[in-house]
Amino acid sequence: MMHGRNILNQETIKPRNLSETLGRLGKYFGSFWHMIVLAVLFVVISTWTQVASPELMGQATDCFLVPAGSSAFAQLAPPSIDQTQGSPDSAQETVSSCWLGTTEDPSTLSFSRQIIYNAYHLGGYTTPELATATDAERIEGMFRLILVIIALYVIGAVLTGATFFTMAWTGQHVLRVLRVEVFEKLHDLSMSYYAEHEAGDLMSRITNDTSAIEQAFSFALVNVFSGILLLVWVAYNMLTASLPFALLSLAVSPLMFIATVWFSGQARKAFRKSREEIGNVNAELQETISSVREVQAFNRADENIEQFKEVNAANRDANVRAVAYTSALAPTLEALSYVGLAIVTGVGGWYLLTGDTLFGATVTLGLVITFLAYVQRFNQPIQQIAVLWTNIQNAIAGAERIFTILDEKPAVVDKPAAKSMTEINGRVEFEEVSHEYEEGVPVLDKVSFTAEPGQTIAIVGPTGAGKTTIINLLPRFYDVTHGSVKIDGVDVRDVTADSLRKQIGIVLQDTFLFSASVMDNLRFGRPDATDEEIYAAAKLANADTFIERLPEKYETVLGERGSGLSQGQRQLLSIARAALANPRILILDEATSSVDTRTERLIQKAFDQLLEGRTSFVIAHRLSTIRNADMILVLQAGRIIERSKHDELLAKKGFYYDLYMSQFKKQEEVESPPL
Amino acid sequence: MQATMTQPNARARRERTSFKGIGRAIKYLTKHGRQAVLPYIFLIIATLSQLAVPRMIRYVIDAVTSGFLADQVLQALENIPAPFMSAALPQILDALGYDSAWSLEQLTATLEADLGNAPQALMTALVAILVFALLRGVFSFLQAFWAEKNSQSVAYDLRNDLYAKIQQLSFAYHDKNQTGQLMIRATDDVEKVRLFIGQGLLQLVGAVILLSGTVIILFSSNVALAWTAMPILPIAIVLFGVFASLAQPMFTKVQQKLSTLNTVLQENLAGVKVIKAFTREKEQQAKFRAAADDTMNQSIAVNRLFTFLFPLVFLIANLGQAAILYVGGKQIIVGTLSIGAWQEFSLYLMYLFFPIMMFGAIVTQMGQASASADRVFEILDAESDIVDKPNASKLPAVKGDVKFENVTFRYVGGGDPVLKNVTFEAKSGETIALLGATGSGKTSIINLLPRFYDPVEGSITIDGHDLRDVTLDSLRSQIGIVLQETTLFSGTIRENIAFGKPDATLEEVQAAAKSAAAHDFIMSFPDGYNTHVGERGITLSGGQKQRVAIARALLLNPRILILDDSTSSVDVATEVHIQAALETLMKGRTSFVIAQRISTVINADKILVLEKGEIVAQGKHAQLMEEEPIYAEIYNSQILSQQSEVSS
Repeated sequence: MMHGRNILNQETIKPRNLSETLGRLGKYFGSFWHMIVLAVLFVVISTWTQVASPELMGQATDCFLVPAGSSAFAQLAPPSIDQTQGSPDSAQETVSSCWLGTTEDPSTLSFSRQIIYNAYHLGGYTTPELATATDAERIEGMFRLILVIIALYVIGAVLTGATFFTMAWTGQHVLRVLRVEVFEKLHDLSMSYYAEHEAGDLMSRITNDTSAIEQAFSFALVNVFSGILLLVWVAYNMLTASLPFALLSLAVSPLMFIATVWFSGQARKAFRKSREEIGNVNAELQETISSVREVQAFNRADENIEQFKEVNAANRDANVRAVAYTSALAPTLEALSYVGLAIVTGVGGWYLLTGDTLFGATVTLGLVITFLAYVQRFNQPIQQIAVLWTNIQNAIAGAERIFTILDEKPAVVDKPAAKSMTEINGRVEFEEVSHEYEEGVPVLDKVSFTAEPGQTIAIVGPTGAGKTTIINLLPRFYDVTHGSVKIDGVDVRDVTADSLRKQIGIVLQDTFLFSASVMDNLRFGRPDATDEEIYAAAKLANADTFIERLPEKYETVLGERGSGLSQGQRQLLSIARAALANPRILILDEATSSVDTRTERLIQKAFDQLLEGRTSFVIAHRLSTIRNADMILVLQAGRIIERSKHDELLAKKGFYYDLYMSQFKKQEEVESPPL
Repeated sequence: MQATMTQPNARARRERTSFKGIGRAIKYLTKHGRQAVLPYIFLIIATLSQLAVPRMIRYVIDAVTSGFLADQVLQALENIPAPFMSAALPQILDALGYDSAWSLEQLTATLEADLGNAPQALMTALVAILVFALLRGVFSFLQAFWAEKNSQSVAYDLRNDLYAKIQQLSFAYHDKNQTGQLMIRATDDVEKVRLFIGQGLLQLVGAVILLSGTVIILFSSNVALAWTAMPILPIAIVLFGVFASLAQPMFTKVQQKLSTLNTVLQENLAGVKVIKAFTREKEQQAKFRAAADDTMNQSIAVNRLFTFLFPLVFLIANLGQAAILYVGGKQIIVGTLSIGAWQEFSLYLMYLFFPIMMFGAIVTQMGQASASADRVFEILDAESDIVDKPNASKLPAVKGDVKFENVTFRYVGGGDPVLKNVTFEAKSGETIALLGATGSGKTSIINLLPRFYDPVEGSITIDGHDLRDVTLDSLRSQIGIVLQETTLFSGTIRENIAFGKPDATLEEVQAAAKSAAAHDFIMSFPDGYNTHVGERGITLSGGQKQRVAIARALLLNPRILILDDSTSSVDVATEVHIQAALETLMKGRTSFVIAQRISTVINADKILVLEKGEIVAQGKHAQLMEEEPIYAEIYNSQILSQQSEVSS
């Protein structure tokens, strides 16, 4: 039961390579082939019941209802009423003769009719002689017929339900497989992928696209299949029953199809426009609501309101235009279906009255009744199919987007023969390392340095100099374009990324915490850590004080992305987490956003603790860090332009000296008070 | 008035029985008067036409069958040998249901009339069907179109009202309500209300008309058959009810599972670096798999429910047809019902069933719309606590004497007051530096000055005028604000600079930009002042944004200035420019500065040192350094350490 309007409002994205994607998608369903075969079987049988019941209605008419009233004088006159039986002209069996009652040899009936015939005569029942049957006998005969019809309805209903469930079950299983596969793929992918792709887009693919695929296959596909089957079957029956009558009765159907396609096409175009407009409304809302303080500060409310009215009006008008098309579709289809009914009754009725044969075929009342039922069943799927086809297209386009992710080759992979990294001592060497994120745009240019175990290396330089890149290369978030990074003499590309990263600790500027308890967040650093070890790490990081003051202390659950804590507190947790991991190599980005002085001091102390005894690489922002670093690497435009300890660099009076002077001079004055 | 947002679901459950919101929303519709009634008129015509069609079909079939029968009987009569006629006639008349006293001539005449009239009757009925089909189609379209059009007008009005209201609500309200929440109300909630007011209401009325019309027609044509069809109604209603009550909690559960799944996904996407760094991939994958399994199982459970109930619903409809077939068939055989009437019933049965199916959907829609309407009106009803007094006067051209007298202030819902008994004075043109730790009250002071909040006790005056006595407009247009977080709007640079004074000339804008040391970089863009910034334009660097903000404030030529002099990470050269621009800005204006820079503090006419909402020291730099140890400590730790940030 689809709401036409909503479907037409969806964007139709045409899949680029229909057959290929379909084939690939098919493989996922392939593992459930037995369910699909079952579903197909169900569909076939339930469609049959839908096709058979109109015929039975016709039989009811021809066998029991029409001859009523004429039985009284049948005895008085030669039987000319039942035109078909024994008439030499009708060598072919006309459809709506009462084959249910009068067939001598059931095996001459079609397979479908045989089933019904046998079901009808179950228990050895014999139909009465129709010309002379009494009212009571007719009623009994009709009653049996109705029982068969009910049986058909029941079977149809049960099987429809079973089909639906089978396909839904299959769809859900495939959905699950797809979701997990994509998720796991995401972990495989390297940081470069994440730099280039928006998180929002990835989310959408995994949630929306997979869901669209599931719905399309468990619902749309089944309905389209059964719809087409029904159409074809009904059409076949009608055409073989009486070709001319069928053609006339079905004359309206192509019109219905065309109407559906045309209206929905127009509607989609119009809705595309309306979606743009609502996008504008959203943008306007977003901007002005989030900056309402500025608006009030600058007294802009009135202007903004006028501006909004315009955008709002554009949206309204675009919607109204689109709605003109959607409002027209259903009424058009309904009117056409009434016309269809009129044609059936009109044509059938005319020929019935005049007694002429319709291009050689006799029309009985039963035939008319049957055709009325057929036509109603025929027109139903047309609208559905046109609409559901859109669903399927969207789903396949979605599948393509998903396969794009699955096909992505991660930039950083473990070599086939990669070994595990042995316990790191801590000697880090960069040998002529060059790196380009984008081809031809080097971010690092022949950077070389050596860090001995336990040393603290401070990295300074202007924005874009390459500092972040250096610390990205160490844990192999990216692989170098040229040169090599070696730890304890081993090229990092020769070992597995996992074994490497386990021994490198990272504290970043943007702290990421999970919506779990503090304990769990800390344990993230080392899952097998004991509680005592966790408390110790928290203490080391000066985080224990504030954790103890939280409502549930270590068991306090953090909000989404660790919200509920201040920036400074999050940093402290992040440091504790790294401390717990007890890495041999540490990577640290010191840039702090505005934290209050007290927390700032705690963080500083925590960092100092953390740096002790490990080979550390720090993007330095603190005076004390630079002062105490074993070596400072001064980076500019991807090159190390100066390297040494703090005092030596100052003495050089070069780039570092300038940098230091403009920023740190004042701090120095505090040490030795002015005046 | 409560300004907090509550969880939409909880709200919806509580509000289910109150339809006040919907009622008010409907008033937005009735505002349009005649236009609002139009779709309903069309609806009536369309529905009546729809009701007429099965009747017409019956006429066709009856005309055909009686004609057909007449033909058969006439033929049969001819075949009866004359001697048997007198004996046969009464039987024939009886079988056909005519008066047995009729003569052969009478019978023949009637039969021939039937036969003769049949084609005519057939044609008339057919034409009638076509006419009604056309009427139905046209008016169906008009009804749907006008209903949608009206609902769009309702949505338009609602959105305008919401927008205006949100813009005017005070800071206190916005502190409690996030942008995202407000946006959803203006978009999704309004849409839900619109859907109901447009389609939903109309369909509801339509379903009622169709249902009652059908019942009336059925009962007036054949009572026995009507009673056969009636049981469908209660059965279907019960079925839908059961279905809905079972399905609803299951749907909610599926949503929950999906939400958990999404959370894991989101966290993994956002924190992928951390996950990789700590090599926690396997763990997260296990977590995701578990969530995916959960979701799958829950969805399958829902499907199982559908599997039983959905086909059952259609089975009921079909059984109704079967019942009609039987009861009707009996009557046809016995002669009390015509075949046409039987077919007609069959068609009307669908008209019974359809509305019931719609009721279910509409009631759900109504529930949602009602909850949404309540949320929308919650905003429209919210009262701003900062409004112009009834006879507020305009603040005359400000000289710049500002006085805080015993001002105490607390944020709504906050515990302790953030300002306690604050008193100080700033003479025209003075620079007042505000110093203190986070939460000491600096921000509150500068929030009170433009009357973004009102003090709980005490008063704030400018040139002797109490802020609460003047209009907000006249007050704020004379105060310039430059804060640390600069928000620019999508538009041209010129528009942004002219934000507070949209009718400023280009010369004025350029002058302001020059003073703010922004003119040069603006001219370096190809489009100059017409360069678009914001989402669909270029992004300015932090330093550039700040200078535009300074220009924006300068353009107003305010006598009072509020500013935060920190600069987000900029390089040395820009630093110098901004410094110069700020100095220009502050010259000759009464400036309140949240001070980060040494130069500001040293040159300030008065430094207010705040701690926990109280002024603990006031004076000039040199004096304070000597006399107040608190000041010295803060100066050393904050001012100097802020300067030690190495630009990266």
